[in-house]
Amino acid sequence: MRGIGQNGESKGRGLWSAGWARFRDNRLAMTGAVIVLLLYFVAILAPILTPYDPIEHGDIPRMRYMQPNPQHLFGTDKFGRDVFTRVLYGSRISLTISFLAVLISVVFGSVVGAVAGYSGGFIDAVIMRIVDALMAIPRLFLLLTCVALFSGSIWLIVVLLGVTGWMATARLVRGQILSLRGQDFVRAAEALGAGRKRIVLKHLIPNTLTVIVVAATLRIGGIILAEAALSFLGLGVPPPTPSWGQMVFEGREALLGAWWVSTFPGIIIAVTVIGYNLLGDGLRDAFDPRQYV
Amino acid sequence: MKGINMETLLRIEDLETVFRSDDGEVKAVDGVSFEVGEGEMVGLVGESGCGKSVTALSIMRLIPDPPGRITGGVVRFGGRDLLSLSEKEMRKVRGNEISIVFQEPLSSLNPVFTCGEQVREAIALHQKLGRRASKEKAIEMLRLVRMPDPEKRYKSYPHQMSGGMRQRVMIAMALSCEPKLLIADEPSTALDVSVQAQIMELMLSLRESMEMAVLLITHDLAVVAQMVDRVIVMYAGVVVEEAPLGSLFERPAHPYTEGLLGSIPKLGSRVDRLPSIEGSVPDPLRLPPGCRFSDRCPKRFDRCTEAEPEMFTVSSGHRSRCWLLAESEGS
Repeated sequence: MRGIGQNGESKGRGLWSAGWARFRDNRLAMTGAVIVLLLYFVAILAPILTPYDPIEHGDIPRMRYMQPNPQHLFGTDKFGRDVFTRVLYGSRISLTISFLAVLISVVFGSVVGAVAGYSGGFIDAVIMRIVDALMAIPRLFLLLTCVALFSGSIWLIVVLLGVTGWMATARLVRGQILSLRGQDFVRAAEALGAGRKRIVLKHLIPNTLTVIVVAATLRIGGIILAEAALSFLGLGVPPPTPSWGQMVFEGREALLGAWWVSTFPGIIIAVTVIGYNLLGDGLRDAFDPRQYV
Repeated sequence: MKGINMETLLRIEDLETVFRSDDGEVKAVDGVSFEVGEGEMVGLVGESGCGKSVTALSIMRLIPDPPGRITGGVVRFGGRDLLSLSEKEMRKVRGNEISIVFQEPLSSLNPVFTCGEQVREAIALHQKLGRRASKEKAIEMLRLVRMPDPEKRYKSYPHQMSGGMRQRVMIAMALSCEPKLLIADEPSTALDVSVQAQIMELMLSLRESMEMAVLLITHDLAVVAQMVDRVIVMYAGVVVEEAPLGSLFERPAHPYTEGLLGSIPKLGSRVDRLPSIEGSVPDPLRLPPGCRFSDRCPKRFDRCTEAEPEMFTVSSGHRSRCWLLAESEGS
């Protein structure tokens, strides 16, 4: 017997609670988790946390480009809107887009990867060559073309980021499935009369779940950056809906005079991505399935 | 002794399973034929690599393809040829009418589900029971295999259990649909000696109470000696001897069987060195000409390297693949 069964530390606990115990002891991972949780809180509680409206223009001559001050912590932009308020509301957009896009890409990628890995042979070869081909397409150009063709909206961005991001997950899951496929418990399940679908969904994917969750968490940071990049190029979330990338873009024209308009959303993007990456690394350390199987 | 008026449950005829390798096709099972009667317990014995596990997997049609393939033969079970069933029909046989218990109880359980869940799944695969009912049945199965504290153990993960307990879970899963035939592929080899005995005793008593046939695969004739009605000895992909238990131990007809019997330590007799069979199992790609055992056989004579012997009848139910028998028959 290998792994955690041996040491008394985790006796009597399941896989998840043993991992959680390890996760809790990892300070960086907890920092990441706190950052991410805080962001979701902020996104939900935005209307309570700020008295201002994120979209409505302020009294322009008087309110335009105000320096950070106690009333406007992050200052105001060229339309006299409170930057702090827009950053708060912007978190809704960034978190929603990144979460949904990763969900789409992970679910689709996992199923494709699992089918390829479990089927093997010809089916596997065909699927993986398609994946290779899709990976060879430069993602940003594809995104730009699509957004230019169909006018931008949040849902379009979600779908685009989702369907262009599943290939890496498919590869990862396929690799995991290949190593699991030959294992005795899969053969034992077959010997009990379980069908293909059941084996993939009940036996193979749950065993890769920790790997999938870790990869998904690490990918959220990338998606947030991609969304910011699109919005920065003016092809992401259409204004006036606040999104961090678009705010960085809008502040660019006044960067020397009013540095705060771009800087604060930029810092938040960085903090969010770091938060997700710390969380992802921590999850990997805590739940690495190689410690069990 | 059973076996005379028993209905045949499983009849294998000329089973042939090959594996493709870089050096060519290997016939892991080369024309194996035998029968298992209803409720009968049969031992399938041989060294590792002799094709006994491949035979078991072939019966279940679980040979990994590629590289393996069943290329010939008939596996008749309950009036059907299992080899000609569709995959869907075969799934209804697996775990339901024929079950198999593997050697490694840890790796045969899914590490991310509780043992109880896995027994429950085995039940749900073939029986239309609700969640509650199937859970109760699963706990009942755990009790049947004498799992201590089954309600609590239902919620344990495989890594929280001992090897013996895990094998009990595997047996509970295999028996959950009351199969007519249980194939046990070295079920106790990976366990401690004392646990081995418990598992074997458990299987023996369950076999009595559930009236099922058991095909016990092992490399250990001593294990077989206490349990089975009949023994089939395999060597290099073929059956070399088949006999009722008593007959095999008293009058082994094949030199290979003699060698196997000779290498069992006997309690009370003092020997400095256990006798063993010279040499090792031949490379299946480079089998010796004639009898496959000829290169290791202490009783080899000219005819052995000229042609492969057929199965000769020694006595009722006792057959052996050795030219020595032809000599004695002929003279």
